Amino acid sequence: MPGVIEFVNVSKEYKSWFPSRGMVRALDDFSLQVEDGEIFGFLGPNGAGKSTAIHLAMGFMRATSGHGLMLGKGFGDAATRRRVGFLAENVALYHRPAEQLVRFYGALNGMRGSSLARRAHEVVEALGLVSDARRNVRQFSRGMLQRVGLAQALVNDPQLLILDEPTSALDPVARVSVRELLLESRKAGKTIFLSSHMLSEVELVCDRVAVVNRGRLVRLGGISELLESRQESEILARGVPPNSFPGAISSDGLVRFLVEATAQRSALQRVWALGGEIVSVNPVRRSLEELFLEVTTANSSDAIGKGTT
Amino acid sequence: MRTVFLIASNFVREQRWPILVLLLWVLVTCVLGLMADVRSDREDLLVIFQQLPIYGIAFAVFIGGAAIHNERKSRRILAVLSKGVRRGEYISGVLVGIVFALMLYGLCMGLTGTWVLGQGGFSIALLWFLMFSFLMACVLASAVAVFFSTFMTPLFATLATGLALGIPFVMMLQFGRDWAYLIPVYLLLESFVKATFSTPWQPDWRPFVVATVEIVAFWLLASWIFARRDIAVALD
Repeated sequence: MPGVIEFVNVSKEYKSWFPSRGMVRALDDFSLQVEDGEIFGFLGPNGAGKSTAIHLAMGFMRATSGHGLMLGKGFGDAATRRRVGFLAENVALYHRPAEQLVRFYGALNGMRGSSLARRAHEVVEALGLVSDARRNVRQFSRGMLQRVGLAQALVNDPQLLILDEPTSALDPVARVSVRELLLESRKAGKTIFLSSHMLSEVELVCDRVAVVNRGRLVRLGGISELLESRQESEILARGVPPNSFPGAISSDGLVRFLVEATAQRSALQRVWALGGEIVSVNPVRRSLEELFLEVTTANSSDAIGKGTT
Repeated sequence: MRTVFLIASNFVREQRWPILVLLLWVLVTCVLGLMADVRSDREDLLVIFQQLPIYGIAFAVFIGGAAIHNERKSRRILAVLSKGVRRGEYISGVLVGIVFALMLYGLCMGLTGTWVLGQGGFSIALLWFLMFSFLMACVLASAVAVFFSTFMTPLFATLATGLALGIPFVMMLQFGRDWAYLIPVYLLLESFVKATFSTPWQPDWRPFVVATVEIVAFWLLASWIFARRDIAVALD
């Protein structure tokens, strides 16, 4: 089954007019498939190629090699973009009253009349901009601009939402409401492709994530699958001396220590042998931040091979 | 078509200040018409009036030459092209926007000329024919400028447009009138700048035909090139 977004061995090189400046390879044989109805997190350090991948999917630029599909059509198909909502990083908009601006972008997507006016008002309301709907966006703060940017991305009720850093300028309250909006969108069967440096946000809302580094895909998988793959367990025991286990921490009569998954059974037997009692055994779940640092600081030879989905 | 109109009207809105400055010149001509004794000063008024198309051409070249680059640099183009807008529609929208602005300028010029020069005995039919020539020259100049702006920075696009419009004129001076048909902006404006109160209305439609073909050609070329350009890359 084809994905909602599909990159197939896509490479993108930026060449300068001046040979001395050389060439930059922003994406290198990059393959990825985003499935229908998921919130997909797209992570990577600055300059990793995230925005390049997004811009290729939107048809803002052309791949040097390889190809891709969005909603079943080749990248850059204008008719397909009518079913897509896009928010660029550092959103830049025309200077008009907010609701009028949202209507303008909706009209560019072929919407018109009362349905456009109603939908524009709905999204403006959903993003908490009603009281500022008639104000020119020139007077808006960066966070408010970002909300207008989100409103223009949502106005056509898109099947696919591509968001590049949608919450970077938002205050915590607005961030929570955007998070809820994303979850509601997923409930409604929409697919969301979310590029973000807000790893805690990604961890909270995404079903799957891909980590890209130096233009190559270095990690891909479901959030729980990626975060629980550390092969370690945390054991909490009572009634054992803390120095019985290396690295153990003791507090309130409880002893906490980590063991390799392969050594888990023997550690439990040792607790019982010492006359202790097992309180809990939990697989260690690392944070997305830890995973991110691990894969982006590692050598780029760790890249996932061709045809990965 | 609606998309082109939306982009065009948005373009006019974004360029409202240069357009207002342009219209200020028409206002100045109006004021002069009010203050001057039209019968005795009619030749002076005509000379002032004949300068107005130069500003229109300058507007077409400067605004057209910077149109694409400025939108890319401000990144506002991304929100527009993320919608169901084809690159060709975007180019058409920019061109139509420039034409809208210049039509407004031409209309104000025509009305002012009809009132001021008409009192001095200038042929009204000729005046509106000159307005049409002016508009055609502006559309051609802006089509050339937009074409260059798809792959050049504003400075180079403006210089290239200046050369493209100026070289046929120099060739005409050196080798004969036929060379002016290469890009007939001069020919379209010639009747305007050489018009007198006694000029009979004898339209030559050949420059219009050549200009129409070239406008379409530059528009198609600009659309073709722009459709192949990466628009989301750093410009500096």
